[in-house]
Amino acid sequence: MKLFAIIQLTFRESLARKTFIAFFGLSTLVNLLFLFALNLDIVDGAESYISLFGKEIDQAFELEKIVYGIESVVAVGLFTGGVFMSLFATSSLIPAFLEKGSIDLLISKPLSRFTILAGRYLGAVAIVAFNVFYLVGFSWLILSFKTGVWNFGFLLSGVMIVLTYAILYALMAFLGVTIRSGPFSLMITYAILFFSPLLLQREAIYALLSGKFWGYLLDFLYHFLPKTTELGNITRMLVQHADIGSWLPVLTSLLFGALMLGAASMIFKRKDF
Amino acid sequence: MYVVETDNLTKYYSRGKIKALEDFTLQVEKGKIFSLLGPNGAGKTTLIKVLLGIVFPTRGSARILGEDISNPGAHSRIGYLAENHRFPEFLTANQVLFYYGKMSGVEPALLKERIPQLLKLVKLENWGDTKIRKFSKGMMQRMGLAQALSNDPDLLFLDEPTDGIDPVGRREIRDLLKNLRDRGKTIFLNSHLLSEVERVSDEVAILKNGRLLQKGTVEDMVSVKQQFTLQLAEGYDLLQALCAELALPLVSQNGSFIVSVRDDAQLNHLIDKLRERQALIRGIVPRKITLEDFFIEVVEEKEVAAP
Repeated sequence: MKLFAIIQLTFRESLARKTFIAFFGLSTLVNLLFLFALNLDIVDGAESYISLFGKEIDQAFELEKIVYGIESVVAVGLFTGGVFMSLFATSSLIPAFLEKGSIDLLISKPLSRFTILAGRYLGAVAIVAFNVFYLVGFSWLILSFKTGVWNFGFLLSGVMIVLTYAILYALMAFLGVTIRSGPFSLMITYAILFFSPLLLQREAIYALLSGKFWGYLLDFLYHFLPKTTELGNITRMLVQHADIGSWLPVLTSLLFGALMLGAASMIFKRKDF
Repeated sequence: MYVVETDNLTKYYSRGKIKALEDFTLQVEKGKIFSLLGPNGAGKTTLIKVLLGIVFPTRGSARILGEDISNPGAHSRIGYLAENHRFPEFLTANQVLFYYGKMSGVEPALLKERIPQLLKLVKLENWGDTKIRKFSKGMMQRMGLAQALSNDPDLLFLDEPTDGIDPVGRREIRDLLKNLRDRGKTIFLNSHLLSEVERVSDEVAILKNGRLLQKGTVEDMVSVKQQFTLQLAEGYDLLQALCAELALPLVSQNGSFIVSVRDDAQLNHLIDKLRERQALIRGIVPRKITLEDFFIEVVEEKEVAAP
């Protein structure tokens, strides 16, 4: 009950900060676009006319491919832009509740410090999950009803987006507890987010570097840090029902998230306020 | 049973550079209003924070309501008003009390019943649906007090509860604290308003540099042993002569005389002599100083005594 109350309060806080409303508004806009911009005429199970934003789409494409394509664009857009915006919108949630006068009151209550931190973390993840599934779920329903193509991979991409956010927010929670600065933890998380494609290309970078140390360092960073580029690719492949060669990037990224959350929890448990 | 017990409680900050508490040993009895006094940085807030698990002790141990301070379970019977507390500003007064009450483990149905009573108790009954960002400092302080009482605690920690509250409000809070004490609650008060503390406290502890300098009842602290204030309708010359004859120190203060005696027998002897000579006595009262005088005396004395 107490954990749920903290999650609920985090929801209310994001509502009060208007970030939730902005997020929700944007999601609604995208859903409305799909609702009104995509027009299809189906004759005998095959499309006789497809238009998007009023323009007729080339009939050479198969309907399934078109739907997968649209859903991929939404999923990848949401993966990059959505995660980026979500991190920004929720960056101050942990440092704000660690402020003196606020955290003292919570600690004085009969609940463990782990519950307090977990409640806040889960609250932030719940806000993002709500918005992501609102956008993905509704656009999936609209597209599926209009085209008859029920692509469950698109729904799974929503899970992947929330998971990626949860992994990166674990890092923000760790930095928030350690440094207690929202902007600083945001900067570090963004750096890791944008560093990921570079690390994926580390073999090309090796050639430019002298000495093995840098090679080892880049290897270590690649294996240790969350692999957001690969997670993005897996998200797209889930939508397109492509063969996902390896789930290892997901597993190692999840491990990183768990490690960050564990470390944040340990530090929070021993910190003076 | 002691409600609060500390044993050589020590807290250092900045790797020992700041000694907030030093071998602090204290017991607080149930059903008392206990006040902590001390200059700024004496360690008063640190002591409360250690007791509530907000900061961790460097060494030593402490128990509240019979439970070790490392166990947050006892917190369901504790209320806390933090100094400069901050509530989520987007909540209304009702929502604040509901949220913190739930955090204290109170059932929602009971809270819904209790919240209007709490708001009435702190004179905010007409503000329940107002967002607290609109509240003044005094109103926020009242909200803090209502929040601390939301779980009907047995032990109440109040850090500067009358801060920002007007004199009428302060009196109301004093009355409320006395009422809670009479209902068997224990109140652990931290305030720098000495006149407030003097009026409301049963027991007082004085801290300085993290050490306990003095602990006792207010009565003991403000009473000056073997000194009496004498008020006579007339015959001051007679009093002066008698004191000179009996070798008793006599000081004049605001129209009264303060006489120092060795014991009660000597005081009665002086009264007998005065009455024998037809002096008209209006009053004889044991001399008292204010808690502020006592506090300054103790703090400065220890300052001089310190190497």
